[in-house]
Amino acid sequence: MTSTRDLVRDERDQYAFHDDIVYLAETKRGLTRETVEEISRFKEEPEWMLEFRLRAYDHFLKRPMPKWGGDLGTIDYDKIVYYRKPSERQEKSWDDVPEQIKQTFEKLGIPEAERKFLAGVGAQYDSEVVYHSVREELQKIGVVFMGTDQALKEYPDLFRKHFGTVVPPEDNKFAALNSAVWSGGSFVYVPKGVEVPLPLQAYFRINGENTGQFERTLILVDEDAKVHYIEGCTAPIYATDSLHAAVVEVIALPGAKVRYTTIQNWSNDVYNLVTKRAHAHERATVEWVDANTGSRLTMKYPAIYLRGEGATAEVISVAVAGKDQHQDTGAKAVHLAKNTTSRIVSKSVSKDGGRATYRGQLRVAPGATGVTASVRCDALMLDDQSRSDTYPYIDIQEDDTTMTHEATVGKVSADQVFYLMSRGLTENEATNLIVQGFLEVFTKELPMEYAIEFNRLVKLEMEGSLG
Amino acid sequence: MSDAVTETAETSTPARAARAPRRAPGDLPFTFVDAALVTAISDRHDEPAWLREDRLAALAQFDALPVESSMLYTPYVDLRAASLDAALPYPTAQDGAAVADAAAHGADAPTAGLLELREDTIAVATLDPAAEAAGVRLMTLGQLLMTDHPLGRRLVAEDVALPADDKLAWMGRAAWTQGAALVVPAGVRVERPIVIRWAVGAPRTTIARTVIVLGDGAEASVVEELVTSDGGVAGEQSLLSLTTEIHLGAHARLAMSSLQETGPDQVVFQQRLARIGEAADLRWALAQLGGRLVRSRVDNVLAGDRSVVEQTEIVFGNADQLHDLTSYTRHVGRDTSGQLLSKGVLLDNARSYMKGLISIEKTAIGTDSYLGEFGMNLSKKARAVAIPSLEIDQPDCRRAAHSSSVGPIDDAQLFYLESRGISPDEARKFIVLGFLEPVVARVPLEEAQDRLRDALEAKWAAGFVAAGAATAA
Repeated sequence: MTSTRDLVRDERDQYAFHDDIVYLAETKRGLTRETVEEISRFKEEPEWMLEFRLRAYDHFLKRPMPKWGGDLGTIDYDKIVYYRKPSERQEKSWDDVPEQIKQTFEKLGIPEAERKFLAGVGAQYDSEVVYHSVREELQKIGVVFMGTDQALKEYPDLFRKHFGTVVPPEDNKFAALNSAVWSGGSFVYVPKGVEVPLPLQAYFRINGENTGQFERTLILVDEDAKVHYIEGCTAPIYATDSLHAAVVEVIALPGAKVRYTTIQNWSNDVYNLVTKRAHAHERATVEWVDANTGSRLTMKYPAIYLRGEGATAEVISVAVAGKDQHQDTGAKAVHLAKNTTSRIVSKSVSKDGGRATYRGQLRVAPGATGVTASVRCDALMLDDQSRSDTYPYIDIQEDDTTMTHEATVGKVSADQVFYLMSRGLTENEATNLIVQGFLEVFTKELPMEYAIEFNRLVKLEMEGSLG
Repeated sequence: MSDAVTETAETSTPARAARAPRRAPGDLPFTFVDAALVTAISDRHDEPAWLREDRLAALAQFDALPVESSMLYTPYVDLRAASLDAALPYPTAQDGAAVADAAAHGADAPTAGLLELREDTIAVATLDPAAEAAGVRLMTLGQLLMTDHPLGRRLVAEDVALPADDKLAWMGRAAWTQGAALVVPAGVRVERPIVIRWAVGAPRTTIARTVIVLGDGAEASVVEELVTSDGGVAGEQSLLSLTTEIHLGAHARLAMSSLQETGPDQVVFQQRLARIGEAADLRWALAQLGGRLVRSRVDNVLAGDRSVVEQTEIVFGNADQLHDLTSYTRHVGRDTSGQLLSKGVLLDNARSYMKGLISIEKTAIGTDSYLGEFGMNLSKKARAVAIPSLEIDQPDCRRAAHSSSVGPIDDAQLFYLESRGISPDEARKFIVLGFLEPVVARVPLEEAQDRLRDALEAKWAAGFVAAGAATAA
């Protein structure tokens, strides 16, 4: 049937491309103290950043690999290129971007998106931000949106004051690795009282076999300001393993509102080991809206530390684990102040032998009175080759916390499929529709274009199971 | 016969007590379980080679494992409140001291039997003659080995119902000196509850095993009581490490309640595992009230098709108590069901760790599994940790869910009771005791229910007095 063919048409080629870029500068494979020094020298960084990198490097060596989570056994740190620079300088306008890179972005749809309503684009090509456009009105209202490397040069004081304060290098092994070799990522500063009217968007891509991607994002939202940041990822498919170890730090000062949305579609050979953490000060709101599809293994637990009275945290996280994939994802809410509120919603789908794990932490520290918190995890398993795990950690150290937690695991209901098929859908279409409905709590939070893209990704994932 | 253990006890106690070594939260609070202890126990009982070998093999496992073998739970282990270097193990159980009082458990008595093990003695061992005539056996594990060697050997060393990844379970198998055995033959139904009582508290270590076997279609109810003996010395810690190994045949039914009301210096390690056969039914009612530090693990293995477990557990902690409770429920057979409910009320500086893992294996089609963990923190210094986990390999289930909540006393309930003329303090008491009532109601022996209610009330009153004093100050 044509309609079914249409539904399951493999559109992956559109996302799996690999341009032959002439890299202008790159470190040799493997991680040594010299590699770290070399990266810092390439970037002409101030002395304190070199020291920061070396401190992180030392910790990385000392820190054992985590024994929990997924199988990290096949990561070979010696095979990874820790830094490569595809073009010599930051490009200010689209016209200056090298043609080859431009074509890559073309495939990703950036120019269209920009024409429509992009507020700004920070696109990462391998290890450097090569293209950046910030609309004039954003500059006028004082919003800073640029590559992290550039920000280190242009806003040295602001940068140094906040960098590494939310995720210190000693936090975990991969945060240490990122801190030692980080490169690229976005820097956002929203001044007091400013509301950024449109989402800021950054596309990240990994290109080049065995290229590690260690971007570092710092988002600082001043008092009563508001911003929505969106990152979307696609990556070419390679035969050997790639490592993505990013660090994202978000600081929401009193009254600020920050939403950070991720739509991710790493290729199936990528280890995605990301530390994302936010500090929410008085009355601030931080929301992580986080989707995980693709990758071989994702270990990611977006965290919010509720540091100021009346702060609010929300995490909406979805994961789809297909063949040979393990999505070990979840959320953390740490209540450190009075009258703070958190809500965590997690939805996962596992199929074709994939494994979806929810791993979360909810902590209420002594002194944090009047806390309200809820955690909800639902898992859908599409076949009995797949696996679903739920590991919630709830640690309450106050006497007036109101906390509720619920989790369910189930399969696609045969009744629902039967009903939809009686309405003329094929079994594939019916299952696809049910899965999309299951994930809607996430999709409805996205801007429309992203919702469409996300549903298409889910459909592609489903298609894998149907083929 | 060697008396090495006793000699060690007498000569080295003061020296060991004088220097308590620094330990990490996951280190055992003693070092005396070693090959010397195990061989001394074996020598003293003049044990056959198979038993000695089993003990030594178990010791090797004990040595090899960490206290917490699951990576999921390593952040929540804390044995630092225990310091047991001075509480040396009893070298052996005293034989022949039991008072047999069969009349007390005749047809009119509320119970069908009582086995009371007090420190290192057998205080009471008595069973309803009718039950005895039906082939029911209630005795020490040593007596079972003597009277039915093949069965004893099978339960002690061959077909052992203990978790293979648990260090403390292996410790029990290596170094047990006391044991309780209840055997109910196939098809026999014991109407009235059987009481197995452990009285401890002297500054010593008791390492013991309980084995319960119900044949196909057998039915029984057991009330296990952990209480204080009069041997306690204030400020000196005592250890009871007790396994409970349950074998349920096809269609067997067991109601197993355990009331832990030991003293404030008691350290309790409990390792329990139940193998539940086809269409068999196990109902746990567990109450944790006493002890300074309690680490308990319950494993339910739903091996048989259509097997059922219901586990209801309460914790009522005050002062500096830590109750560290883990429950593993493994669904293996088809159409099995597990209903697990844990409730905790914490006063003062009390802590409770409630860790639970439901695993639904690939073979377990049609599983219905629920795990609930609910807490009430009634003090600003109390700490409640809940980790209700799921690992699911078979999606074709009737239900796989967990839920948990932590909250203060519900204002609406309080208001309702007060509007009925009940004083606020009484109302709070009603709500808290009502919260814990599900376990009380499931204890199969009325006098044990009453005692448990009294103990809960007494604990509430003590906490209330303490809170009142704090407010006044």
